[in-house]
Amino acid sequence: MRKAIYITLIIALLIAACQPTSPSAQPGKKTIVVTYSIIGALVKDMVGDQANVVVLIPNGQDPHEWEPSAKDIETLMKADLVVQNGLGLEGGLQKTLTQAAAAGVRTFVASDYITVRKVGQGEGIPNAGSDQNVGASDPHLWTDPLSMKQVVAALADQIKVDLGFDVSMRTQDLESQLDSLNSEITTQVATLPEANRKLVTGHESLGYFADRYGFTLVGAIIPSLTSQAEVTAADMAALKTLIQENQVKAIFFEVGTPKSISDAIGRETGVKVVELATHILPSDGSYFTFMRDLAQTIVENLR
Amino acid sequence: MLPASNIPDNNSTSCVIARNLDIGYQGEVVVPQINFELTCGQSLALVGINGSGKTTLLKTIVGLLPPINGEIRVLGNPPGKNPHQLAYLSQFHDAGFILPLRVKDVVQMGRFTEKGLFGRMTPKDEDIITSSLQRMGIEDLRDSPLRLLSGGQQQRVYMAQVLARQADLIVLDEPTSSLDASGRDLFSYIMNEERSRGAMIVVATHDIQLAAACNQAMLLAHAVVAVGPGEEILTPEALLKTFGIVLLYQGEDKGVGIVEREHGHD
Amino acid sequence: MDTFITPFSSNSFMLNALLAGVLVSIACGIIGTYIVLRGLAFIGDALAHGVLPGIAMALLLGFPGMLGAAVGALVMIGGISLITRRTRLSSDTAIGLLFVGMLALGVVIVSRSSSFSGDLVRVLFGEILGINPGALMIQLAATVIILVTVIICARPFLMLCFSPEQAQVAGFNATLYHNIMLALIALTVITSFQTVGTLLVFGMLLAPAGAGALVARRVQTMMIWAAGFGSLSVYVGLLISYYFDLAAGASIVLVATLIFFMVFFLRSRPKSTFGSPQIG
Repeated sequence: MRKAIYITLIIALLIAACQPTSPSAQPGKKTIVVTYSIIGALVKDMVGDQANVVVLIPNGQDPHEWEPSAKDIETLMKADLVVQNGLGLEGGLQKTLTQAAAAGVRTFVASDYITVRKVGQGEGIPNAGSDQNVGASDPHLWTDPLSMKQVVAALADQIKVDLGFDVSMRTQDLESQLDSLNSEITTQVATLPEANRKLVTGHESLGYFADRYGFTLVGAIIPSLTSQAEVTAADMAALKTLIQENQVKAIFFEVGTPKSISDAIGRETGVKVVELATHILPSDGSYFTFMRDLAQTIVENLR
Repeated sequence: MLPASNIPDNNSTSCVIARNLDIGYQGEVVVPQINFELTCGQSLALVGINGSGKTTLLKTIVGLLPPINGEIRVLGNPPGKNPHQLAYLSQFHDAGFILPLRVKDVVQMGRFTEKGLFGRMTPKDEDIITSSLQRMGIEDLRDSPLRLLSGGQQQRVYMAQVLARQADLIVLDEPTSSLDASGRDLFSYIMNEERSRGAMIVVATHDIQLAAACNQAMLLAHAVVAVGPGEEILTPEALLKTFGIVLLYQGEDKGVGIVEREHGHD
Repeated sequence: MDTFITPFSSNSFMLNALLAGVLVSIACGIIGTYIVLRGLAFIGDALAHGVLPGIAMALLLGFPGMLGAAVGALVMIGGISLITRRTRLSSDTAIGLLFVGMLALGVVIVSRSSSFSGDLVRVLFGEILGINPGALMIQLAATVIILVTVIICARPFLMLCFSPEQAQVAGFNATLYHNIMLALIALTVITSFQTVGTLLVFGMLLAPAGAGALVARRVQTMMIWAAGFGSLSVYVGLLISYYFDLAAGASIVLVATLIFFMVFFLRSRPKSTFGSPQIG
């Protein structure tokens, strides 16, 4: 009996160790290393075959807390261009990114090219910690297609300068697709009465989306700009009050949100508890599918 | 190697019989070839320095250690099969300082074998507990916490627990080591009481006077040096071989005492 | 007065947390008493660490965490008995290494999950605020099982605390009852990790029972004190989390530890009411 248990453990370890971390690059072409998958999808669209695009954080892992292995660090240090989100999104990668920049690796920071959103007053973050004070910078810029439009435009320029090839055709195409996407979502959201546009998410991740499409951020299960924090009874009680006062129809939990807490709040208030992919690409790997699914899930459940 | 005891087998049910018994731990023999017989109402003293095999033999008799070779029958059965008829007092008790137990709780444990898991304590049990406390002179301590008592008082409590078991075979390891003179006298008196109601006693002791008062004595020094009636066995020569040093003094009683190099008491 | 009641009366998650915590306190009070009296703290700690890889694996594979915890506990107990049977000299070191190894294994396994540190924190520190009615029922069942088993085995357990040799000679199979006690410890750890987490359940086993040992005169009352101190810790800890915005599980264990030290210092002052240590 004991032997069987040992063997099972060993097998599990082996399986776990064999999971792929990042795809290997083809020689000859330049390598662009993108930190996480959502921006990665757009970069791939932009660049096509002209460069290798490697996404460091595997899709499905929480970008706020993912830590690189030695191999990942090596990949980063050897990149011809590193594309990162900025504003501290990639919590576990910060040190490595700083090291890479200091070592002269070319870096593109997406947040440099957008209008950074600051945490506003009355966003329903009770008992805010030091990095959630009013005025803290929100890194979740990818939930706004128009901000991403600015990012891809700037990136195309940098690719021309740093890597020496032209992606302007594909980039323009992408930009008009992003415009269409924006119109689509705007129309979809318009079908939702304004009184229902109240968002409660796992953590404070939909700020840019809310600003763009006219939603109110009522609160978050973990009142934090990252998924890493522990919930307290005070937070739960405050959130419950906010949900009831604002007559929120559904709460959305994301990667890293403790499901048991989400369920407890659901039981407490009687609202729907819905899973929302805010940091994870769908199976087809497309940013556009990602945003469409996001908008659809939100609008449907808040109706 | 000495021949088996010459005590006439006048009792058809010898209650403890050992034949060519090797005792020890985990396959290692501590004392080889033990032979003795004990009949009801008799007492056997085991005499020897610490580590000579006394505790090993006691534990083998009560079934805590398996015999390595040879045969031993306790009350007609292999050791450990007669919990209702046995009582054992071990040499060390380290639970005393933290265990929240009152004296009467400790003595009441002596009734557990009889009652099993669920049997209620009856007035008869209460009487037995009370009389055990009285006999050991500690009835006024019955509600006291065990951990607040002195070593000698705790020892009396453990003896009272032994008495409460009302055993046919009482096995004791250094029962008088922390008792004062009056305690030792009381102990001898109790032992006689038990024997007169038919119990057998096997006691490991450093106290030569006590050993001499027993029907039989066995001198142990990693082997059986001698076994037989107390007066015959406890000679200066035998004691010399057992302990390595002997003190002769002119006393009212036997005139022989022992001094051990390890601890100098008495 | 109202401040001490309303958080619970107006929030069902607070009430559920309190109920779960009290059930855990009862179980930990009873089992913790035996752990403290028999000096089994080391084993309790080993189990608390040993369940981690089991839980981690179960979470990763989608099984209920408790199933994994049970497997982890079995491996741990098996490992310990294997070690103690082989050697007597270095078993302390070996056991210590075993549970550091299990802890590391657990962390490695959890690191493959998509939200590593969140999961790890959850398993180590529990999620008492997220307890659902199903988990509450399981905790109730476990506490009842523990209570009933202890009532049945009360006498042999008491004898084990007093002297395992005496228990054996008295006709109670010391090994059997010791294993039953280990199984109850394992059951307590396995079910309690949902509430206070594997790291902190150890504190809930030791601190209330330790405080109980300082005030009780009998084993039964020690258990009652332990359950009482534990429940009080749960109540106060939850209030602290509510009013001072602090993590719930850790607050509970912190309060339990503080209660222990308070009792400790109160008892160590000169005892005028108890007389000198030597009576008579």
